[in-house]
Amino acid sequence: MSTLLEVSGVSVSFDGFKAINNLSFQIGKAELRAVIGPNGAGKTTFMDIITGKTKPDEGRVIWGDRSISLLGMSEAKIAQEGVCRKFQKPTVFEDQSVRDNLMMALKRGRSVWDVLKYRPGADNARLEQLADEIGLLSEFSRPSGELSHGQKQWLEIGMLLAQDPQLLLVDEPAAGMTPAEREHTTNLLVEAAKTRAVVVVEHDMEFIRRLNCKVTVLHEGSVLAEGSLDHVTSNQEVIDVYLGR
Amino acid sequence: MKRLFFACLAVLAWASVGHAEGPLQDILQEHRALIEKPSRKTISPAIDDIANSGLDQAQRMLQAWEARNLWQREEDGLFFVGKAQGQELTLTDVDTGEEIQTEKSAADQLKPNAGVRRLISSALVQFQLSDPNETRRLEALESIARRPEESHLAPLQASIEGEENRAIRARKERLVKLLSIAFADTPEAQIEAIEGVSGDLNLEVRAALNPLLATTRKVSDVIPAGENVAHVMRLGEDISRDEAYAALVEAGYATKRLTPTAIKDILAANIVDGQVGGVPVANLDTPEARDEAYRALAAAGTVPPFVSAEEVDEKLRTHVIYDAYNEPNGDVTKAAQSALKAIDLNVGLNQAADLGLDALSLASIYFLAAIGLAITFGVMGVINMAHGEFIMMGAYTGYVVQQVIPNHTLSLVVALPLAFVITFAAGVAMERLVIRKLYHRPLETLLATFGISIALQQLAKNIFGTQARPLTAPGWLDGAWVLNDVVSISYIRIAIFVLALCFLFLFLFIMKKTRLGLETRAVTQNPRMASSMGINPDKVNMLTFGLGSGIAGIAGVAIGLFAKVTSELGNDYIVQSFMTVVVGGVGNIWGTLAGAAMIGTLQKGIEWLNPSNTLAAQTFMIIFIIIFIQFRPRGIVALKGRAAGD
Amino acid sequence: MGKSFLKNHPTMLVFLALLALFTLAITIFSEAYGSGLVSTSFVKTLGKTLCLCLVAIAMDVIWGYAGILSLGHFAFFGLGGYMIGMWLMYERTKEVVLRSLENQTIPPTETEISDAIATQIFGVVGSSDFPLIWSFAHSLTLQLILVVAVPGILALVFGWLAFRSRVTGVYLSILTQAMTLALALYLFQNDSGLRGNNGLSGLQNLPHVTAPQSEISMWFLWASATALGFGYVFFTMMLSGKFGMVVKGIRDNEQRVRFLGYEVEHYKLFLFTVTAIVAAVAGALYYPQAGIINPAEIMPIASIYLAVWVAIGGRGRLYGAVIGAAFVSLLSTWFTGGQAPDIPLGFYTISWVDWWQVLLGVSFVLVTLYAPKGIGGLFDLLKRKEVQK
Repeated sequence: MSTLLEVSGVSVSFDGFKAINNLSFQIGKAELRAVIGPNGAGKTTFMDIITGKTKPDEGRVIWGDRSISLLGMSEAKIAQEGVCRKFQKPTVFEDQSVRDNLMMALKRGRSVWDVLKYRPGADNARLEQLADEIGLLSEFSRPSGELSHGQKQWLEIGMLLAQDPQLLLVDEPAAGMTPAEREHTTNLLVEAAKTRAVVVVEHDMEFIRRLNCKVTVLHEGSVLAEGSLDHVTSNQEVIDVYLGR
Repeated sequence: MKRLFFACLAVLAWASVGHAEGPLQDILQEHRALIEKPSRKTISPAIDDIANSGLDQAQRMLQAWEARNLWQREEDGLFFVGKAQGQELTLTDVDTGEEIQTEKSAADQLKPNAGVRRLISSALVQFQLSDPNETRRLEALESIARRPEESHLAPLQASIEGEENRAIRARKERLVKLLSIAFADTPEAQIEAIEGVSGDLNLEVRAALNPLLATTRKVSDVIPAGENVAHVMRLGEDISRDEAYAALVEAGYATKRLTPTAIKDILAANIVDGQVGGVPVANLDTPEARDEAYRALAAAGTVPPFVSAEEVDEKLRTHVIYDAYNEPNGDVTKAAQSALKAIDLNVGLNQAADLGLDALSLASIYFLAAIGLAITFGVMGVINMAHGEFIMMGAYTGYVVQQVIPNHTLSLVVALPLAFVITFAAGVAMERLVIRKLYHRPLETLLATFGISIALQQLAKNIFGTQARPLTAPGWLDGAWVLNDVVSISYIRIAIFVLALCFLFLFLFIMKKTRLGLETRAVTQNPRMASSMGINPDKVNMLTFGLGSGIAGIAGVAIGLFAKVTSELGNDYIVQSFMTVVVGGVGNIWGTLAGAAMIGTLQKGIEWLNPSNTLAAQTFMIIFIIIFIQFRPRGIVALKGRAAGD
Repeated sequence: MGKSFLKNHPTMLVFLALLALFTLAITIFSEAYGSGLVSTSFVKTLGKTLCLCLVAIAMDVIWGYAGILSLGHFAFFGLGGYMIGMWLMYERTKEVVLRSLENQTIPPTETEISDAIATQIFGVVGSSDFPLIWSFAHSLTLQLILVVAVPGILALVFGWLAFRSRVTGVYLSILTQAMTLALALYLFQNDSGLRGNNGLSGLQNLPHVTAPQSEISMWFLWASATALGFGYVFFTMMLSGKFGMVVKGIRDNEQRVRFLGYEVEHYKLFLFTVTAIVAAVAGALYYPQAGIINPAEIMPIASIYLAVWVAIGGRGRLYGAVIGAAFVSLLSTWFTGGQAPDIPLGFYTISWVDWWQVLLGVSFVLVTLYAPKGIGGLFDLLKRKEVQK
């Protein structure tokens, strides 16, 4: 299994507080990975670094077959490379219709000029197919602000699919979901991981158990343990961290 | 016995002859011919003898002479101080002071001319310089300082020894130095005096040195030997071709060149059959054609000869134009130059200090104007575009109070808290009515407060009119604290600096030590958590906003003391205030301080580079700030990381 | 422009029809070409209003659609005016100077003519030389290029600096305000090369044109109406497609758009520059009708008023901006022109010249607080009622 993303020796500090401390992390091209850790372990900052929102003080982030560095690239460039992020809170463009949201996410030219000459209607078939996949075809032309919470979650997942990313970063996907919805989400993520890399940040052990994948435990900005869920939960250090000393 | 006899004889002789005799009269009689027909060239020995006689009465006599009150009795040629009244004349003996009444026709009034009187007056200086009255002595010194003359030097030097007052003595010594620069006997003495004042900041010193370096522009084919040349003019650099040629013309080395306008007029006056010098009039629309036509006329001899550009070049090449010092001795001018250079350096350093003080006071003004904004914008995240109008309200409060309470000090004491109360109330009202409804919609807050700003400005215009209203500072704030001839700072600016310091500490105190400060910080960081702990965020926001507005009001009173109070007063400060807060770093009072310091220094610095143009200074300052924000988008004192809230 | 495009934008068709009707009506009633019911000065006011509507549309695009509250667009408007003003003033002065030199016995040289023009133009600021920036003033074509180029480049450079460092929200507003203030202060200087606070004047006289003002004013009205129509169609087309979606996305959640792979800064910069150019074109049409431009016109307060118009008209829809600009600016003219009757209260007489600003400020606050959608919001209410029926 070849490596898609390699993070090595990355550190970042805010006003002297070391949010990430010499962190190293690797993920393959079609792999599902869960990242867990207590509050303040640096999970969100870790994602911020990969997506280019935060610049690390030191370390390397190497991406893809061509082994290019993601450091110094803008968020948009990184997204265009195929790194895609889902936020904890569903963020869709509420004023715009389901169709428009999907159209914006669809993998097409992102430059001003490409967008200006883009002809609406060219991708209608693909968009309808996507909407069908996430079960929102009946709401195709409704403003997404009128959708229910769950529907917004699906729309956002649809937008992720529309982008056809190589790496999917998912922040607490199960938060605020019903058990049935969780089930559905788990299946979607497992399915997605067959063709691409997926990193799931989550608190909920039960949810992670269902993902049935390799787990990375973060603590105080660096990797504490890595391996199967059973392996890491039997690690004394991890128990100390989670249960408190 | 013998002595008594002679004394008796003398008294007898005096009484019998009836004419006065005394030491001064003897001297006068000795120079009788000179005094009767005085001239500036010859009178000196007489005056010197009188002045140097050591007689107390000499001063009175000289004063009378200078004031044209010296008379000579016709019958015996004796001199008296006289006072005419109608036909009556009172003569006073120059030695004894004894008075004699006589007819006016019995004596002649002596009327020395201006030159002679000046000599007398110089001679008098030594008496004034040793006058027992200190005020008189100082007056004499000041008059010398105002109009220094060569003749003052010797008496001044002579008077130093007997001087007992230390201050006056120092002043005398200093004046001697200054006079020596211009009037010392030998160049060596002059140079020594010049070197003695090197680096001195006093304006008097520069005034004494500058005449030594006065130059005259001269033109010649070769520079004559012995000329103390200051600078040889280089064509095109120090002097333009036209100016150089004009100088040649003036010195008689070249013939005057006609201006294009003059040529045009001559051409117009010489039109024959639609042609000038063979050139058709219609073709005369280029300088070349006009020259050609004029040359043709000149060749015919009808007009003054044409001076071609080549001739001008030739003349300029064979002549030299230079500035020569009026002072012939090169060593003296060199010494003066190096002394002035040292002075200039010193003046430059002191000007830098003065500029620093100016920048400091400007920074305190910006700080005062911005601190209220730092609270509302920095701490609460609320944009208040009407902040400038709160400053204006404060200034108008000061004005109104001054109309009611005429005592300026008292009115200021009343106005400061009153301005705070009024703007505090206005701020609270604005927060309750408008801003509270727009939290988390910062752009809308900005717009709504714009609306308030527009309305308040027009209201002020309707109430107070468009003309500027005076807000006069109390008398004790007039004047300036003068460190030396270069560095000074007005008391009002010092007061504003102190006020700014007070506000800095007041702000720190409120934020760090009071309940309101604690609650404000809590609400800033996490409003929901704060409210769950029993803090009422609405109340805290209201009070914080009121506080920020109130401080703006006080700043308004302070600003009104030196700026014009108009309805547009706020406009002048709002952009700078925002810049101060943004440049300094939002949410931090030290940042505001740093921002104010930077903007103040920057503006003064740019003004110093281009003193004629404060508008340009402001333009460049804003451009600088826009560029500065590129490099430090969060300001000088930046909060980093997640706390910065992105 | 396909059929479906027209069908999808009925408001645009209505707007264009109303604009054409309005222009026709004014022409019919004008002094120059019709009954004379509408005075020439009022034609000028209307023509100027059309230009203000155009700049308001540009403002609406940058603010209402992209969420960037620029307080600099009236500066671009003014710059456009200055650029065209330079040519108008130069040509016009040249005409006058040539006429005055005609009677001289000796024909003038080139230098004499240009010196005479320079003295005529810059005498008020104590100079008689042409500043470097007037190098192109002799050519209408070059100066027309400058109308677009100077504000365009200024917007490009400023926008690049501002957006690159991720200055957003109120910070950006303050920064644009600072830029506007800097520009105005610069132009206030006598040695700015644009006649300091005297500004450029006599712009209403077109060089080489002998037609009376009544006709010239109609020409400008037509030109302004055409420009407004084109501007409206241009922005409608631009914003109707995916570009419009991205722009609205940036307004609502910039970060999300960025993570979708769009270079937000490029979009902002593009819009900022394009709207600045449209504003400049509007200004280039406005000032020949106003006759004079000076730096006071572009002080930040003017840009703030522009925001006020758009807000009152209703932002986020182009016709809202047009309604706001037309309504408020015409009302302003009416009130401050002294035509509105004063209200005597016995103890105090409310004179509208004095109180209009207060009313405007207060109503602006009220609109922001209670009617964020502005006048345009009324149309939504009407539409909803229709649907309910």
